[in-house]
Amino acid sequence: MMTMIFAFANQKGGVGKTTTAVTLADGLARLKRRTLLVDLDPQGHLALSFGLEKSPGLYRLVCLDEPLSEVVQNIRPNLDLVAGDKQTEKVKRQITLADFRETILSDLLANSGYDVVLLDMAPSLDVLHINGLIAADWVVIPTRLDALAVDGVKEILTTMAEISQNGHRYRGYSILPTFFDRTTRETLIQFEEITRIFGSNVWPPVPQDTRVRETAAFGQTLWEYSPDSSSVEGFLDGRQRLGGYRQVLGRMLEVIDG
Amino acid sequence: MAEAKKVRRSALDPAVADLLRGMQQKQTESQLPRREREKLSKERAKIQARRDQRATYDLPPSIRDGLRVLAEDLRLPASQLATLALARFLDDYQNGKIDLGQYKQPSRSPRYDWNLVFPEEIIFAARRKKTTGS
Repeated sequence: MMTMIFAFANQKGGVGKTTTAVTLADGLARLKRRTLLVDLDPQGHLALSFGLEKSPGLYRLVCLDEPLSEVVQNIRPNLDLVAGDKQTEKVKRQITLADFRETILSDLLANSGYDVVLLDMAPSLDVLHINGLIAADWVVIPTRLDALAVDGVKEILTTMAEISQNGHRYRGYSILPTFFDRTTRETLIQFEEITRIFGSNVWPPVPQDTRVRETAAFGQTLWEYSPDSSSVEGFLDGRQRLGGYRQVLGRMLEVIDG
Repeated sequence: MAEAKKVRRSALDPAVADLLRGMQQKQTESQLPRREREKLSKERAKIQARRDQRATYDLPPSIRDGLRVLAEDLRLPASQLATLALARFLDDYQNGKIDLGQYKQPSRSPRYDWNLVFPEEIIFAARRKKTTGS
């Protein structure tokens, strides 16, 4: 089975990239998919999200040439992590000086043996960000529904278009509205706008939910800390549930299984 | 003849479409006069309340038709007749007036241990009585 690589990207910070990557990675692992999470952000928040210390996993992989199998940490059943910390900044410098620098991450992740790899990208547009976008088969763009964040979506898509012009083929992309508050008029205006422009590329949104913040503080995933919360189960609409990470996980599986 | 204007529609994820529709509906309602808003709100509450009263069972068509015909003759809601019939059955069963043993046969289904197999006279009784009576 081929590895499917997802990048979680938005140049705007605070849109829920890390929470989304953590929740979906743990969700996939619980469904027995062998999953690897890679932290491309020098803030190193993936490790903290699982209750671990930050560590220079990506630095060891790229700069010290250690094999992937030695730098990964097994953090849950079927779930491994390449952690990051401030040494990730050195990775950027190393990549900038290297030949064929745009495909370094893609080459390192080739034949990784995982079913799914999730790349948690930093809110920036640097050489590591480009590496992540080139390694990815599918890009998930989490966004809040405000004008500035939606502009970040357009920026990522522009970068992806430039990468595609240089020969890289994406299988697709999805826009994931996060911190979704369906009671405000501004949310509706922005939601109408992105569905009008991006159509079926918009995935069901993740409701605004204070449980998400608590989850990070306890170093647990949402499936462990609060599996019945609205951010997981979505909005109750009559008898059906709309949005939430469980439904998003379903959409992701449709992508993986074709 | 002028050609109809073609509009390109992009398909939405079904959950996204449902959510968007609901939000747009609420937005439209919020701009209505107070009296109409209250009317819509009452109607919604009524529908919500009725949701708990709904049940779906598979019935032989003859029973369903018998109930419908009787409800039309008596000019009553069929749901109320079904309620009465089921309430009487439950009461009779609890008082030992009904013995299911004579209808029980082992089931091959992994979900159930037994099936009830009814003789034809029970299934078609309602229709026949109606037919002979008229």
